[in-house]
Amino acid sequence: MTEQRRKAVREAGEYKQMSVTINTMSDDFIRFTVDGLTPSTANALRRTLMDDVPKLAIDKVIFHHGQIRDSEGNVYDSSLPLFDEIVAHRLSLVPIVSDLSMNFRDNCSCKGEGCPLCTMTFSINKIGSGVVNSGDLQPVGKSDLVPADKEIPIVKLGPRQAILVTAEAILGTGKKHTKWQVTSGVSYKYHREFLVEKKKVKNWETYKNHCPDSVLSENAERIVFSDDNRCTFLSQLLDNPDVKVTEDDTKYVFQFETDGSLKAIDVLDYALKRLSQRLNLLLDSVVGD
Amino acid sequence: MVPGPRGRNLTGDYMIIPVRCFSCGKVISSSSVKFEEKMADIRKTGREPTPDEISREMESLGIHRYCCRRMILSHIDLIDEILPFS
Ligand SMILES: [Zn+2]
Ligand SMILES: [Zn+2]
Repeated sequence: MTEQRRKAVREAGEYKQMSVTINTMSDDFIRFTVDGLTPSTANALRRTLMDDVPKLAIDKVIFHHGQIRDSEGNVYDSSLPLFDEIVAHRLSLVPIVSDLSMNFRDNCSCKGEGCPLCTMTFSINKIGSGVVNSGDLQPVGKSDLVPADKEIPIVKLGPRQAILVTAEAILGTGKKHTKWQVTSGVSYKYHREFLVEKKKVKNWETYKNHCPDSVLSENAERIVFSDDNRCTFLSQLLDNPDVKVTEDDTKYVFQFETDGSLKAIDVLDYALKRLSQRLNLLLDSVVGD
Repeated sequence: MVPGPRGRNLTGDYMIIPVRCFSCGKVISSSSVKFEEKMADIRKTGREPTPDEISREMESLGIHRYCCRRMILSHIDLIDEILPFS
């Protein structure tokens, strides 16, 4: 489809400028408000956040079986109390700090063979007894791409047991496997306003004192609250028949947390760009030339 | 004890805490280790942790949703039992 035609389609529909405001943010949590969305686009954004943000996850684990000798001549057996499949699965779920400038293996210049542009290699070499943690994954190559959480127990080793594995991490998206899902607890709600007539609701001041950040506007007769930023005390207003609650289905309050592999703000940034790509893809397949 | 299929023993219990929450995908295993240590500390004083203490500890570890909480609360660690049978 030509750019001109695409523009015409957009203008024919009710195209509204979208705006994003960030309410609270830390490295692995974000709450933000998006204005100018339809319910379906809001859900599309939620699904993009879950399915379509890439990150690194271990996709191939090579176990080296046999006997391992340490410097003192002690012999260890590198077979584990858990099945290799389970250990590989547990390794794959470890969040790894990701670099989005890396290539997907499918469209890499190595044509899917694996190279430093698309693959991150790790190794674990540990002798028992003790717990093997995700922090024991040693990066080979780029040393900044390490497990984001270093205290995940992978497997326990008994005396005379050892583990020797190499693992390859590649980029992927949550569409294919949950190990590539950056976000968890992605949710949204309508922006809500509680209109309180001061004459009818006598104790309006207690609400104001408990949730001072939730006051949107106030004059002599009325005060308006919003529960965009959670304040549990406000939920009592919902039971009060004198309070008028209005929901706005074009303004949404989103929140999600990440597993540490990417910063929350980077995830949001990527998802918003990806969302418009996805919507254009849909437009192209529906309208045709 | 004989290990059963898929990382479970024959009674269906998981032998080691799952890495992520089954429902939402949050990494809970590292928090689980810290949680168990805290609970063991309380038990050392000769009493069981109160629901209030459990709730506060969950909150401080950032485990807010009940899907993640049940992962930790309902888990029985059995890896020590199967350790001799590699
Ligand atoms: Zn490559
Ligand atoms: Zn959960």
